[in-house]
Amino acid sequence: MNASQFAEESLELGRIVVCVGCGGVGKTTVAAALALEAARRHRKVAVITIDPARRLADALGVGQLGNEPQEIPRDQLTALGVPEDGGLFAMMLDMKRTFDDLVERFSEDPAARDNVLANPIYRHVSDALAGSVEYSAMEKVFQLCEQGRFDLVVVDTPPAQHALDFLDAPQRMVDFLESRIVQILIHPAMAAGRFGFKVFHRGARKVLQLLERISGLGFLEDVSEFLMAFEHMSEGFRDRAIQVRELLLGPEAAFVLVAGPARESALQAEQLHDRLEATGVPLSAVLINRIHRWPGDSGVPPLAADTPPAATDVAKLEEALANSEGPDFPAEAAAQAAIAAATGYAEQVRRDVRATESLQRRTERQGRYWGTIPELAEDVHDLAGLGHVADLIFERSAGG
Amino acid sequence: MAPDAPRSLLERRVVIVTGKGGTGKTTVAAALAVAAAKAGKRVLVAEMGRDEHIPRLLCPGSPAVGYAGRELMPGIHAMRIDPFAALGEYLALQIGLKPLVDSVMHNQAFQQLMGAAPGWRELITLGKIWHLDQLRDPDGSPRYDYIVVDAPATGHGVTFLDVPRVVVSAVRAGPLHQHTEAVEALIEDPDRTLLLPVTLAEELPVRETNELIARVRSDLAIAVDRVVVNAVAPAPFPTGLEDLDEVLARLPDSIALGALPPPSQLAACARTLRLRHELNSGFVTEIAAGTALPLVILPRLQGGIEGPREIETLASALVAVPSWEVA
Repeated sequence: MNASQFAEESLELGRIVVCVGCGGVGKTTVAAALALEAARRHRKVAVITIDPARRLADALGVGQLGNEPQEIPRDQLTALGVPEDGGLFAMMLDMKRTFDDLVERFSEDPAARDNVLANPIYRHVSDALAGSVEYSAMEKVFQLCEQGRFDLVVVDTPPAQHALDFLDAPQRMVDFLESRIVQILIHPAMAAGRFGFKVFHRGARKVLQLLERISGLGFLEDVSEFLMAFEHMSEGFRDRAIQVRELLLGPEAAFVLVAGPARESALQAEQLHDRLEATGVPLSAVLINRIHRWPGDSGVPPLAADTPPAATDVAKLEEALANSEGPDFPAEAAAQAAIAAATGYAEQVRRDVRATESLQRRTERQGRYWGTIPELAEDVHDLAGLGHVADLIFERSAGG
Repeated sequence: MAPDAPRSLLERRVVIVTGKGGTGKTTVAAALAVAAAKAGKRVLVAEMGRDEHIPRLLCPGSPAVGYAGRELMPGIHAMRIDPFAALGEYLALQIGLKPLVDSVMHNQAFQQLMGAAPGWRELITLGKIWHLDQLRDPDGSPRYDYIVVDAPATGHGVTFLDVPRVVVSAVRAGPLHQHTEAVEALIEDPDRTLLLPVTLAEELPVRETNELIARVRSDLAIAVDRVVVNAVAPAPFPTGLEDLDEVLARLPDSIALGALPPPSQLAACARTLRLRHELNSGFVTEIAAGTALPLVILPRLQGGIEGPREIETLASALVAVPSWEVA
């Protein structure tokens, strides 16, 4: 797949773009650049970020937690080549509020809602429990898609230890709510009528006693209270989890894997790639961010650390430097330093190629877009910078 | 006046390495293990994630070490602390009935309940670290002289250190109270335990590290006496030639340099390296000011981190005396 096919399929026709990758690879920047690119292609786009760098957040107008997309002013978008019918909205996810909204939505009445919101277990579940961060990100995507206000939603996934946790998060929550132990805590009497319950019940009681003996906490009381209050919501959550999953794995979603060029980062990206495939995720592109690219057209550095340049060539550079205009400086040292710097850079270019070539082969063999974004001299912290990154992803300008 | 230089990194028994994803935290943990082993210590390096990275760095091609752990190279043991395995071990020690504990641990309902219960993973992991610190050989000497913990990315890294204190205040008596107090005492003892934050000289990691240090100072009693700044781009040209890329940029590409790249390419490489160095230096200044801690600066290695050789290079830089001087 080439750049324009990728842009057409995921940005022009798709409804969701999910950027996945390990922490520290610049996912937020890439997500925002893809959103801007889609806006340039006449679409009304919302980008959801998780934890943007302060200056980038300010540039996107999401310096404050809002939890609703804010529109980027029209004049700024026009300057970046976004047409009248395109639009860009950005928001920073407020995970706790997204989750609270959900409780509100599925509560039967205000009393049930308040019970849940005030329960200590809920407070843990909603801001500390594994999966809730991922869950709320996906919930927000779903809400925005459902509202129909936007043509496309681009989301930057949380830097979870396992970047795919968000896919399983809704299901995990449902599994837990529907698990036997939860059912017993809620309905001990009802469960007692079931076949095999006695055997299980004995086991469960042992477990609970053990837990309380070790912990000495009233933890279980809180759990059962929470579950009782939460019970009526279980249905709503389950339906929701199924819908979210269908949307994410469906034809309107495109996943973009973002990785860094270093060996460790590329290895992690390959592991993530495996998991995405195993989950049946529709992966569209792999983008390597901050790669070292040789400035020449061929991209192949003509220098290497293990083959020093010919002395005659070095002398030519020295002579050129000696003859150059401007203040005096030691031409010999300057020539050596220039070659040393360029050789060092060439080695970084080679290192990145070595580290990423197996991922590249695999991506291209499977017909996905392989894009590289060269390391820029400065961090991206404004809309113009995002426009530049978008140009680089879609190969509209050479080098950085 | 600069405060006294902190003690050597190798003087503590437990070093908890923390940092945002992508900062090279695991690389630093591996390098620290190598440095300690070189100093003659018996080292254990423990990872806390679901994946293992240390074996790949220290001993490429080696199989996973798991919870049981294995000696990766002379003097360096590695393991992965799996909270469920640690919980099973703890329950067996407490209850003494291994079959009962096994049946509980394999109970699906128990697993689901524990999957949702907050806090215990952090507590049992720290408990395991305490236990490893207490292990003795038959002759009475400590099994490990030096324990390096590769902690989870910072968001969770601080929370997890806070758990023992919360538990000690919530659980007033009983074995859990006593055990947690011992864990808390280890974490809070500046002679035994050190928190070692790792950052990159870039905007996001620097901000997060500043926040981490502020939080450690206000909420936690763990010692922190330096910050490791990883992968800092060195000055690309010698003194006196700082504007070399601009000089190169003024040379026309019509000058023939034989097999060398044309001047514009030499200038482009030089400029990228200079700007990266300047950007990093700015953030090094910022982290020094933001944390008021001395820094250990690790250079960005040209060929990247490919294996044991690069780890050795970093190991010596890592245990050098941290500096109050900002480059």
